[in-house]
Amino acid sequence: MTRLSRTTHGIAYDTTNDEIIAPNPLAAAVVIFRGGAVGEEAPVRTIQGARTGLSRPETVAVDERNDEIVVGDPGDRRVLVYRRTANGDAAPIRTIQGPTTKLLQIVGVAVDPIRNVLVVSTYSRLPGGVTGLLMFGRTDQGDVAPKRVITGPKTGITRLRQIALDPETGKIYVAAINNEYLPPYNIDKPRAGLDPDVELPSPWNTGSEGFIGVWDDVADDGDVPPRSLVKGRSTGIVHPAGVTFNAKHGEVIAPDAVWNGLFTFLKPELFKATAGTQ
Amino acid sequence: MFIAGASLVTPGRAPSIEEMFVATTQAADETEGAMCLMPEDVDAPSDAVDDRSNVVSGFSRTEQQLAIPKSSNVEGGDLPPVRMVVDPYPSFNGVAVDTTNDLVMMSDTNRKSLLLYDRTVGSPTSKDMATPRQQIMGPDSGVGFVAGVAMDPQHRELFTVNNDVEDRLVVFDYDARGNVKPKRLLYVPHQSWGIAFAPKRDVMALSVQTPNMFVVFKREAKKFDAPIRSVRGAKTQMADPHGIYFDETHNEVVVANHGNFRPGELITSYTAYDARESRQERAGGDKLDENARGRFLPSSVTVFDGDANGDVAPLRVIQGPLSQIDWPMGVAVDEAHDEIIVANNGDNSILVFPRTASGDVPPKRAIRGPLTGVKGPMGVAIAKDEIYVANFGDHTALVFPRLAGGNVRPRRIIRNAPAGRETSGFGNPYAVAYDTKRQEILVPN
Repeated sequence: MTRLSRTTHGIAYDTTNDEIIAPNPLAAAVVIFRGGAVGEEAPVRTIQGARTGLSRPETVAVDERNDEIVVGDPGDRRVLVYRRTANGDAAPIRTIQGPTTKLLQIVGVAVDPIRNVLVVSTYSRLPGGVTGLLMFGRTDQGDVAPKRVITGPKTGITRLRQIALDPETGKIYVAAINNEYLPPYNIDKPRAGLDPDVELPSPWNTGSEGFIGVWDDVADDGDVPPRSLVKGRSTGIVHPAGVTFNAKHGEVIAPDAVWNGLFTFLKPELFKATAGTQ
Repeated sequence: MFIAGASLVTPGRAPSIEEMFVATTQAADETEGAMCLMPEDVDAPSDAVDDRSNVVSGFSRTEQQLAIPKSSNVEGGDLPPVRMVVDPYPSFNGVAVDTTNDLVMMSDTNRKSLLLYDRTVGSPTSKDMATPRQQIMGPDSGVGFVAGVAMDPQHRELFTVNNDVEDRLVVFDYDARGNVKPKRLLYVPHQSWGIAFAPKRDVMALSVQTPNMFVVFKREAKKFDAPIRSVRGAKTQMADPHGIYFDETHNEVVVANHGNFRPGELITSYTAYDARESRQERAGGDKLDENARGRFLPSSVTVFDGDANGDVAPLRVIQGPLSQIDWPMGVAVDEAHDEIIVANNGDNSILVFPRTASGDVPPKRAIRGPLTGVKGPMGVAIAKDEIYVANFGDHTALVFPRLAGGNVRPRRIIRNAPAGRETSGFGNPYAVAYDTKRQEILVPN
């Protein structure tokens, strides 16, 4: 009844309208629940169908000021923007897609309606592929180039996932998972081209370390380090795939799939109006 | 106290995460919860993740006063969490029973292990954790986000498959324990979930979620060996398949489907972790089918010929409102009594159908209700006239008489944590959101 799948790699909460938005990549859909949904409760709206352009929606964000839902879909390497109240087989009102966009494996989207920025996290090992953050204009559409790209060794990002954006400060919170991943599986020739004796490590046993990094959505561009970090043995996080924040109490929150755990960090200096700093 | 939490916030020697991870389960007997709360002098919502949250589980927690700084080291960022939710106990998922050696094995998604117990372990009344005969766990084992399990008493081999991330099936000897390397390792399609072992054929079938298929490997397949056949395509009516059972008595393969469906045109590569192929490239420019769309199909049980191969229709489908099938996870067949048993995760029940049931038919029995203890059932098995149920929503597995029905108590309860401990419910969490209205943290799996 919920129309959720066991594969949900994105989620957003709409404070203004008290709604929860989640993608269902296995059914090419986006489902929207009332904020207080509990148990086996049906969504209040579902975006699904041929007109939607959804192929494998992976990540979602909500623009409460402009009443829009933003969806990142790596299946078609595109970002789709819908009216917040879209329901059923609804066409997007804008789409960003094409080789100029640098969009590849889209795993995070976020909107800054104050500075009119749309941020996308994307990664790929394709030659020339960007692993990092792409900053577009909020109303960009078509095959457009990102206005800024944060990528490179100084970022510390080797692979990333969900992002969150605080419009009050313009800060982007990035879950740099930094683990490995396996090449696609071809059912007829699994892992073709690999040495038959090679041992592929678990994607968790990489020796690399993930972190939560913070960048500015307007000021930062290119190969720049994060302005703030949550990283290291004391944090408990190893390969964080998600991130959000509680601005009121100055907290950064991250789940970690290695631990199957959820970790909350106190970072009041990052927020404009943290209760504990007033 | 929660040992891992203490380790995390203690400066000095930094144990590897693997050491800490293994330690959490080894220390589980001594732990009382998994929450580190903020010191009282820090101005923050100490109740922000409290019992009122239905998203973040409220453990029976013990508050530990820790020397936590009020803000971070901005340069390094190596700061301890002010709160964390980590369940130190296993969470059962797949279940298999070996009646030859009187063993029951379950996979543990939370602490990433395999647990073996005596088949008759458990008690209807005990509040204590059951003691496993052995546990396989650790970074060398390749046991990660595991789901389905199987046992082969003839060759004394234990099987489990990783549903996500690791994309591999690992095989152990019956006597394996601790942090051991698998006897064999087989790379499998991403999102493989269930294992159906067929001893007479000496093969195993795996269900695979994203491409809506099942694949069949030789038992001894290893490394990059390809499946000997696959069943996939529009005719199969599979949609987000999970549980799978190979009924060699009747030469049938039974598959449980959640109902999330994308047509082949929308499926690119068999992994969620790579973007080297988009739909446009696969289709070849203007051949892209823009009419392809995802669908929600009713949950179902599809039954195939045991020799099925390719895009073939099922022999029978159980599906519809009368069937009550809702997010079916594990599935088993009582080959002696001609019944199909379904772990019906969606409504916390166990459904039993005649083996030859077809269409929108009601189950002949359903184990459901507060007395049953069935909560988020994942795995199900039938052996010696008993039904074994692995709960994910509770720290228990349950054993019922074969003919149990209705709101009945289990014959035995196998606990993997002391009674009363709640589960976090986490299964490979990859995203999070904050509900500012309710001060709740939303974590999808």
